[in-house]
Amino acid sequence: MARKVLSIQSHVVHGYVGNKAATFPLQYRGWDVDALNTVQFSNHPGYGHFNGFRSNANDLREIVEKGLLSGLELKYDALLTGYMPDVQALREIGSLLSDLCESDRDIKWVLDPVLGDNGKLYVSPEAVPAYQEILKRGAVFLATPNQFEMETLTNVKICDLESLKHSVTRFHELYPKVPYVVVTSVASGILGPNDMVCACSERSNSNLAYYFKVPTIDAQFSGSGDLCSALLLDVFLRQSESARDLPKAVNEVLSLVDSILLKTLKIHKEQMTSEDTLKINDLKLIECRDLLGDETTLKYIPTQL
Amino acid sequence: MPRLLATQSHVVHGFVGNKAATFPLQCKGWDVDCLNSVQFSNHTGYGMERVFGTCTSAQELQLVFDGLKVLSDYDAMLSGYLPNQESVACMAKNYKELKMKQPNLIWLLDPVMGDNGQLYVSKDVIPEYKSLVQSSLVDVITPNQFELEILYGREIHSLRELQSALHTLHKTVPIIVVTSCSPELFNDSEHLYCVASKRGQTPTIYRVPIIDSYFTGVGDLFSALLLDTIYNMQKGPKSKDVVSLDINHVLGIVQKVLAVTLENSPTNIKAAMGSPLTMKEMELRIIESRDWYVFAGPTDNFVYRQLDAI
Repeated sequence: MARKVLSIQSHVVHGYVGNKAATFPLQYRGWDVDALNTVQFSNHPGYGHFNGFRSNANDLREIVEKGLLSGLELKYDALLTGYMPDVQALREIGSLLSDLCESDRDIKWVLDPVLGDNGKLYVSPEAVPAYQEILKRGAVFLATPNQFEMETLTNVKICDLESLKHSVTRFHELYPKVPYVVVTSVASGILGPNDMVCACSERSNSNLAYYFKVPTIDAQFSGSGDLCSALLLDVFLRQSESARDLPKAVNEVLSLVDSILLKTLKIHKEQMTSEDTLKINDLKLIECRDLLGDETTLKYIPTQL
Repeated sequence: MPRLLATQSHVVHGFVGNKAATFPLQCKGWDVDCLNSVQFSNHTGYGMERVFGTCTSAQELQLVFDGLKVLSDYDAMLSGYLPNQESVACMAKNYKELKMKQPNLIWLLDPVMGDNGQLYVSKDVIPEYKSLVQSSLVDVITPNQFELEILYGREIHSLRELQSALHTLHKTVPIIVVTSCSPELFNDSEHLYCVASKRGQTPTIYRVPIIDSYFTGVGDLFSALLLDTIYNMQKGPKSKDVVSLDINHVLGIVQKVLAVTLENSPTNIKAAMGSPLTMKEMELRIIESRDWYVFAGPTDNFVYRQLDAI
């Protein structure tokens, strides 16, 4: 029987970000995905033009609270949350899901604290304390911030491995009830211009935080972070509780995402006309379905931070 | 890789509308752009008092269509449930524009209006679908018998009347698949009969055994797989006009999904309308059926006979 996840994120009609990036890979890997869409846009904003509308907080809360939980009495194995339409929705969904996880300790919540990227906040500044409150409350099982989000949540600027480690330590101090954190991409060139860093740490042993050196691909992708959080949910939760190995899960996800990005790039180059750039709007998730179904070969070596 | 624009309902939990259509088509290699006409917690079979969520307004739909205009490069378009006249009209307007821009794309219209003599959309939706069907822009329609009667404008009580309905609608629609006929036409309540008809060819009647249970989303899964079959049929080496319409494999795959659904449900369960905990067990096992969507081997033969041999 398929395991069940409730995924609350954005929806784009065209392309693969948010729920569109998470749903197919999770379904292909055997998850029954209940996808609650926080917005419906024609495509993601990275295109430079898009159109659509947002769901309101009350409708979203009612669907979860009255529809899925009370009405259908659904039991979820996992929750996945990403982009929210506004701060009110973030607060309401955050508190609702916290209550849910507190009432059923078997539910694992993977939270992507969507705040911004590359030094820029792209949601309302009020979202920062809202995420901090959710993380403090402690229902989240795994948080997957990128570098900017990690910096914002810990107030530690990451510019080298030492400050990365400091920010991880700070994260566990500030949010002591969150067992796991994965910093999905640190791109400030702390290991050199052609590598990015991904780090992971667990509360129970933050002295044993690890990082991975991942060679960057010379192209700009949208949706890779959302794909990464979804795959982490799958890979990490598939491990047995007694033998959780976060660095191994991160390694597997980074390796798979890298293969998907490389294949996307290859297809993009084959179809490219001369004016096209290496700004790749859409991951080629459908063409990559075989990669999603296959065993992933680990590509990286975890190093202690 | 073929690209599809699908405009129909979205349910957070369960598999009807776009949730039933998207994953199977993705597994078959389609890039599916899903435009959601509603976002509901679950399908209405659970009882209206258990449905939460919102209909996408025609204005909101239009905003999304506007955003899509610069991206549109579709091989096919599909539409299913739309909640009201305004949203049907909005879909119609935008799909017409896309079709006129790219006459080769396949447009499959599921004129979702009701079933078994009961209308479940508002009456003013009817003229919208009638006018679309008469526009000569739609390539495929998948009405059930009740919807066929509405489009034809008359009730159908015999195979002769069915033939005449198909003949009339073929003036403007090349492919018609009647997804379920009234049992009275065949005097048989053990089977579900459907008719696949292509303009200029003799229609074929198919029949599948009726499974005594309550499934939803089967029609949406069917129309998605049918679209894939028609797309591949028309892309084949034979000219579009001579290649014959064979939906046996589509019916075969749908039967496999139903079988997987039954296998995964508690034994002896017969779902009752409005009993949510029972209904939940009867949601199509779209995920567990993953490997069937690409199954190319033989399935049962569901051909009953040709429609001209009456």
